[in-house]
Amino acid sequence: MTIDPRTDVPPAGEMLGDTHCPVPDTLPVGLDHVPTGVDREQAEHLIVNFGPQHPSMHGVLRILGELDGEEMISGEVNIGYLHRGIEKLAESRRYDQVGTLLDRGDYIAGIHGELAFAMATEQLAEIEVPERALWIRTLVGEITRISSHLLWYGPMGLDAGAMGQFLYAVRDREMLLDILEAITGARMMFNYIRPGGVLRDLPAGIERKILEFLDHFEKMLPEHDDLLGGNEIFQLRTKGVGVIDRDKALAYSLTGANLRASGVSWDLRKDRPYAAYDKVEFDVPISNEGDIYSRYLVRMEEMRQSVRIIRQVLDGMPEGPHTAKVAKVLRPPAGEAYAAVEAPRGEWGIHIISNGSDNPARMRYRPPAFYALQVVEDLIPGTLLADMIVVAGSMDIVLGEIDR
Amino acid sequence: MQPDATRIANIVTAAGAQPEVETTSLGVLMRIPADSVHDVLNALKAEGFGFLVDLFGTDTGEQIEMTYHLRDFGRDEEVYVRSSLPYDGALRSVWDVYPAAAFPEREAAELLGMRLDCHPNPRRLVTTEGCPPYLRKEVPVRGAEEVRLR
Amino acid sequence: MAIDKLTGENSILFIRSEQLFDWARRNSLWYMAFGIACCAIEGLMHASGPRFDFDRMGVFFRASPRQADVMIVAGTVNKKMAETVKRLYDQMPEPKWVVAMGACACTGGPFREYGNVIMGVDKVVPVDVYVPGCPPRPESVQYGFMQLQKKIDAQTEERLAARRNANR
Repeated sequence: MTIDPRTDVPPAGEMLGDTHCPVPDTLPVGLDHVPTGVDREQAEHLIVNFGPQHPSMHGVLRILGELDGEEMISGEVNIGYLHRGIEKLAESRRYDQVGTLLDRGDYIAGIHGELAFAMATEQLAEIEVPERALWIRTLVGEITRISSHLLWYGPMGLDAGAMGQFLYAVRDREMLLDILEAITGARMMFNYIRPGGVLRDLPAGIERKILEFLDHFEKMLPEHDDLLGGNEIFQLRTKGVGVIDRDKALAYSLTGANLRASGVSWDLRKDRPYAAYDKVEFDVPISNEGDIYSRYLVRMEEMRQSVRIIRQVLDGMPEGPHTAKVAKVLRPPAGEAYAAVEAPRGEWGIHIISNGSDNPARMRYRPPAFYALQVVEDLIPGTLLADMIVVAGSMDIVLGEIDR
Repeated sequence: MQPDATRIANIVTAAGAQPEVETTSLGVLMRIPADSVHDVLNALKAEGFGFLVDLFGTDTGEQIEMTYHLRDFGRDEEVYVRSSLPYDGALRSVWDVYPAAAFPEREAAELLGMRLDCHPNPRRLVTTEGCPPYLRKEVPVRGAEEVRLR
Repeated sequence: MAIDKLTGENSILFIRSEQLFDWARRNSLWYMAFGIACCAIEGLMHASGPRFDFDRMGVFFRASPRQADVMIVAGTVNKKMAETVKRLYDQMPEPKWVVAMGACACTGGPFREYGNVIMGVDKVVPVDVYVPGCPPRPESVQYGFMQLQKKIDAQTEERLAARRNANR
């Protein structure tokens, strides 16, 4: 067969002659292997590793992707690069010490983990929490929710190719961290909510500082929204991408904003009221599309609602003690308790099995992002490579709580 | 919040398991034999408990207990299903009932040192080859001396 | 340090190329964008954010280890991660430095009792500066970088002194 190179260009991979000649036993000097080129039967798809060090992965997530050109055929999520045994270590900690571990679980919104653990311990030990402590818990919880959503909104835009909103998000988050530092004493690792109440009362003059922030943030929130959500490129990249319908969301046990963006109205603050959420008014935003853009809209609206809640909490804050009288070393009776809070990432549950000693016999930490991550694996087939990163970013994953 | 214990017990019995019903501070807890977990969860899902809140294993010192925490959004009820496994037992995957169970099962199986049966991807998830099952009681945490000497 | 402080106006500076390169190096320490855990929020995100503004110190993030001078190990290193940390360190071109940020990277921190956690990243790669805290504030990380700059300066002086002694 003769080939005219101008007309008969063989398609890539077509064999021009017989390849069944025997391979010589000794290669010519200077050659290490037979120059066969790429075996297209075997190497049709590219296997690509993202992470654990990858600039657009949130933390140390690793995704193994099978690529056909730019389209992903399949993917596998690999975690454990931050596995540090929070559940195991809790078995050798006292009840007031476990909060330090939980802070470092979901390190962006640690206060919700402390709250869930404190609530579970209070159920076990039957501690009555004073009214003021409940309101302070609501206050710090909502401040943390805004700061967590800001740290979702900034890097999520980075994934979609925008940069400016990250700097604005960090700017506003600094103000929130100042407030949290004034209340709890730390910027990130609070250990503020203890079984029985909170560690200390609100500092004098904090209301003014919070109101200052709220005034600033209410002005800025539309700007944040315009900057990212109003951007046409962002909308094109997120509308109709990464769609999680209602059935899939429920099958994969999504919670929080991810579930609400898929059209299920379930918010523990409304449906299982804890702290002072039954005494404040707020709406639960829901979207039915289930795509990335609706997750964006739901989280933005949640920030608006958080501002509303904080204003009401500041108005209605009762006087009284900030903590109940609790023994130095808690020894709850043997039994089990499950308490869950609506953390920014979803239902953060704490299941304690107590055997009556100083330490929990078993503490199970229900990580919302762990369940959300499985959906990413499910959504990967068929999406484009660049979209996969936005999909993973839109689920608001924090590796600290996924690996625990 | 707390379902009618007899209704749940009837569903579980119809699925072919004899439950021991416990009503604790936690709510309704059904103890069932390990080999009937798959059928029982299938039956409970058909009856509305379509949401797996959580799944975890506990080392009690004598055996391993798997707890399945289910929720029914329609009735707003929650139920716990618990089964016991020997240390060298095999965990039957329920991912085909609740897809969300796939990751927690892998995690539980490796951290408690169990075999994982009927799972689509039964690889280690959070630790590397050669790590002991950390959540077992017999695997201790490091002592103060070891930590001090680093 | 502006160079005309050394030279005065309109004058010529005689300097060893080594000194010049090290001077340039310590004023543009590019770190690898590689956050492991909680410390990454404080040490990488907030430190490079508007308030703390790491860029003004010439410290800027690079996505690839091939372009980086410094590795900030910001978080707990466990057995699964250690291999990756080592590989990334090996991929960085010389000269390279490592900043162990936070209690976990220094000693294992609150998780040091767990068997899967490595008690300090110095068991995996050599560490130049330890920044304690859980997590350290962004200012602490910046102070750590200032210490690293001093260390680089001192290393140049040491090298030059050793060579002077050898030539003598």
